[in-house]
Amino acid sequence: MSTVVTSNEVIRDIEQLLYQEASLLDRPDLDRWIELYTEDGTYWMPTIEDQEDPLNHISLFYDDRVMMEVRRRYFVHPRAASKDYKVRSSHIISNIQITEMDDKTGNCTVTSNFHCFMYYRDKQTPYAGRYTHELVRDGDSYKIHHKRVDLINCDAVLNTINIYI
Amino acid sequence: MSYSTKDIEELVQPTRYHRNVYTDPEIFDLEMERIWARSWIYIGHESQVPEPGSYMTMNYGKMPVVMVRDKNNDVHVLHNRCGHKGTKVVDTPCGKISGFRCCYHGWTYRLDGKLLGVPHLKGYEGTGFDKDDPQYSMQKLARYDSYRGFVFATMDASAPDLKTWMGGAADVMDNLCDRAPEGEVEAAGGVLRYEHDCNWKPFLENLNDAMHPMIVHRSVVDAANDYMSTLPEDSPHRDEAEILPPFGQSYEYMEEMGITGFKYGHHYNGGKTSIHADYSVDPEYEAAMIKAYGKERMQEILSFNTHNTLYYPSLTIKSAVQNIRVVRPISYNKTIIETFSFRLKGAPDSMLQRTLLYSRLINSNGSMVGPDDQTVYFRIQEGLKSTASDWIEMHRNFGRDEVLDDRTVGKGTSDLDVRTQYSAWKEYMTAAGP
Repeated sequence: MSTVVTSNEVIRDIEQLLYQEASLLDRPDLDRWIELYTEDGTYWMPTIEDQEDPLNHISLFYDDRVMMEVRRRYFVHPRAASKDYKVRSSHIISNIQITEMDDKTGNCTVTSNFHCFMYYRDKQTPYAGRYTHELVRDGDSYKIHHKRVDLINCDAVLNTINIYI
Repeated sequence: MSYSTKDIEELVQPTRYHRNVYTDPEIFDLEMERIWARSWIYIGHESQVPEPGSYMTMNYGKMPVVMVRDKNNDVHVLHNRCGHKGTKVVDTPCGKISGFRCCYHGWTYRLDGKLLGVPHLKGYEGTGFDKDDPQYSMQKLARYDSYRGFVFATMDASAPDLKTWMGGAADVMDNLCDRAPEGEVEAAGGVLRYEHDCNWKPFLENLNDAMHPMIVHRSVVDAANDYMSTLPEDSPHRDEAEILPPFGQSYEYMEEMGITGFKYGHHYNGGKTSIHADYSVDPEYEAAMIKAYGKERMQEILSFNTHNTLYYPSLTIKSAVQNIRVVRPISYNKTIIETFSFRLKGAPDSMLQRTLLYSRLINSNGSMVGPDDQTVYFRIQEGLKSTASDWIEMHRNFGRDEVLDDRTVGKGTSDLDVRTQYSAWKEYMTAAGP
């Protein structure tokens, strides 16, 4: 897949969105994170390499906006035992490539590599993989229409994943 | 310490069990020998090895084994160990081969494990080595058998046959398969592999603990209800709205579900009703079921509603949901739980999609249900390091369960499921070796 070369300004806008999303997940601040998504936005974490479909194969996460809203409330519920412990993450995003760009609408697909360290209950867990963001133009900026998170160990035995990566 | 039979007997009493059953690595090792090698342990489903040469690897207790379909379409469970130096022969989760070949010295085996070829065989001439001696094959497990496609194995040649061992709990396996218009299920849609920071038993004891959902899962029920109640009335139907809220059912509802225990530690809760009873029925599925069974029989099948059914100790199934969880103990405080989903043959795709949605919503590492359960198990494991008491209690409804010929029946909130398991635990752990 070839990278679509586009103006520095567009690349800059896209990078800023990805960094902003990452920093909201670092905290995590799901209330503001959700606002980065379109009303029909989705978040997907498959369990196999090159998984084609979130509905006919199991996934670790597949949330639409309704389930994001449920998860946002669940995450701060005082009686969610697994959320008694703080969750803190540190995301690094790199190798950002715009792989598709619709010149008319400005909508685009962006891939990147990520490393995320997540700290939870005295234990630090590294996650690594590739993001695919489908972005849509929203005035001067972008919103996330779909985010796909391909962990390099998506098919391994994993412990709890406490929050979106 | 080294446990005598009497010591082990004393660990389990009618209304309490000793904390060492969770916390002592020595007990774990004894369990691997006496329960996880003597009971029928779930291996996999025949549909996971669909063609001659298809194989799937897993652990049986601590031992690597492989399930494989041979050229005659017979499914075998073999020790995954080369008869030569002991190398693990196949080391990928699944695949298809024409025969086994060891990666070390190239010994080859038929699909039923029989040793075929040894390179440069003449070096063995006159050494006493006999290529046809079964010890040099990939050996078969002592016994294996399947029930409606579900394959189990045991190392105990004297174990009762599989159907006898399942007893009345086989009704639920039947119900799972009968829910398919074609009367058969097949594994579909992959697997969730979830590491749990606990002994294998708290997971099993929680399956039919009807006193915990309204506490442990209150968080997700509240979150779902809070938000979904704000959606406009004409919003499209969502299966999530049927799956999540019933986890908050009342004590009275849970009590009504009932619980049924059997010999060998098996049990299920529900029957007449369960937290899966009010799922809407896809009209296309209903039509396929009526065509296959007639209306009366279909209603009979769909009204048998259980929640979890345990085939002690390795397999728990949800017939009304069509998913299963497989227990793989790793150590006294580490357990892997694998969730597999099943397609009802002859049913529309929407049925598998609902099963997968359920597995994702309830059993995924990223779900809002499983992680809270696993936190509880971890805290049990931590809390029991305390010497405040050596005992864990299981009194609820003790003496009030109804003992019938082949089963014990009680209220859904009874600890009868836990007592059923520990009675089997004690029997396996104190029986004379095979």
